[in-house]
Amino acid sequence: MAQSKKINYIDLITNGIVKENTIFKLALSLCPAIAVTSGLKNGVLMGLAVLFVQVMVNTTISLMRNFIHAKIRLPIFMLIISGWVTVTDMVMAAAVPDVYRQMGLYIQLIVAFASILARAEMFASKNKIAPSMADGIGMGIGFLFALTVISFFRELIGKGSLWGLTIIDAKPLLIAILPAGGFLAVGILMAFFNWIDMRYLKKRASASSH
Amino acid sequence: MTSKDIIKITINLVIVYLIGGAILAAVYAKTSPIMFKNAKIAKEKALKTLIPEADIIEKIGDWTIHKKSAEYFIAKKGDETIGYIIQSFGKGYSSYINVLIAVDKEIKVQKIDILSHAETPGLGDEIEKDEFKNQFRGKGIENIKLVKKETTEYIQAITGVTISCRAVTDDAVKNGLDFLTKTLKGGAENGTIEKD
Repeated sequence: MAQSKKINYIDLITNGIVKENTIFKLALSLCPAIAVTSGLKNGVLMGLAVLFVQVMVNTTISLMRNFIHAKIRLPIFMLIISGWVTVTDMVMAAAVPDVYRQMGLYIQLIVAFASILARAEMFASKNKIAPSMADGIGMGIGFLFALTVISFFRELIGKGSLWGLTIIDAKPLLIAILPAGGFLAVGILMAFFNWIDMRYLKKRASASSH
Repeated sequence: MTSKDIIKITINLVIVYLIGGAILAAVYAKTSPIMFKNAKIAKEKALKTLIPEADIIEKIGDWTIHKKSAEYFIAKKGDETIGYIIQSFGKGYSSYINVLIAVDKEIKVQKIDILSHAETPGLGDEIEKDEFKNQFRGKGIENIKLVKKETTEYIQAITGVTISCRAVTDDAVKNGLDFLTKTLKGGAENGTIEKD
């Protein structure tokens, strides 16, 4: 079985969440991180959509890795990615029409996420199915986690509510849900997580992250 | 590149297209009826909010614009006609913009609503903002004209979003009002009317 090769699945999954978190560490795909995180519900659903696409794309590409001709691998990757994104898009339009009305335009933009194509090229096209799935799950959960945290604070501060329910009954700080607030939230959280990383996890001086 | 490569690439692409196409078709078959129903519910809701004081909003016919079929409605309070609602399309930057226009008996715009579009996120979707939509209130067809300067007489374009604004103003709303005026005055040259 695959275990005989000693693949550490825990490592693969946590890699995407902590060490190579798309948003907090690699600073990729910041457009959706700012655009859709003005509410917790949007952030979580966008994160779930990306998680689904990332896992399916990684699995599909890993499945086909020996079959795809090297010369046309990138166009094929793009076809696979856009196929899964379209599936996600149609399912969300049918299942959650209210949310889709607000963020439907961004779902289609998942096609252009650097992080998804990067994992397909760097990992899934070189590894077996199980590790590729684990990598996709890790990367996806990392993204979902980042979007959840960002949108949690932005909605709480900017609207005084969570998931649409009012929590703080006071005049909210509107800037948090404006684009500028998005940049601030991402920056502050990025700094915070890197600080934790350096302070407690002691990831060897972490020169590569800032 | 040898002929072997070419054959392999061709087989690659054919298989990816076939499998991808099959998956998309299956998902579309499952989701499109639900999407259709959702769109219908959204439209009914939108109609209600456009003329909230109406008791009944009844469809009175269909018309075509940009080869798309659109509907128009009559709004009644009791037995009295208080206005009309017409659906219209405008050709925007990257999509057809689906607009509902509510007018009073004199065909002056009461309110417009953008039902759906696929314009550039963060830019073209500014047309959904109230500051833009509210400009239409109280304007007759002669004042439906997009200008780039500051204006209260006409409709002012949003900076950077001129194409989408023009699609809503000079295309969707203007043609909608034009058709409604002609139809209500007896002649219906532009569309097909099915009274029931």
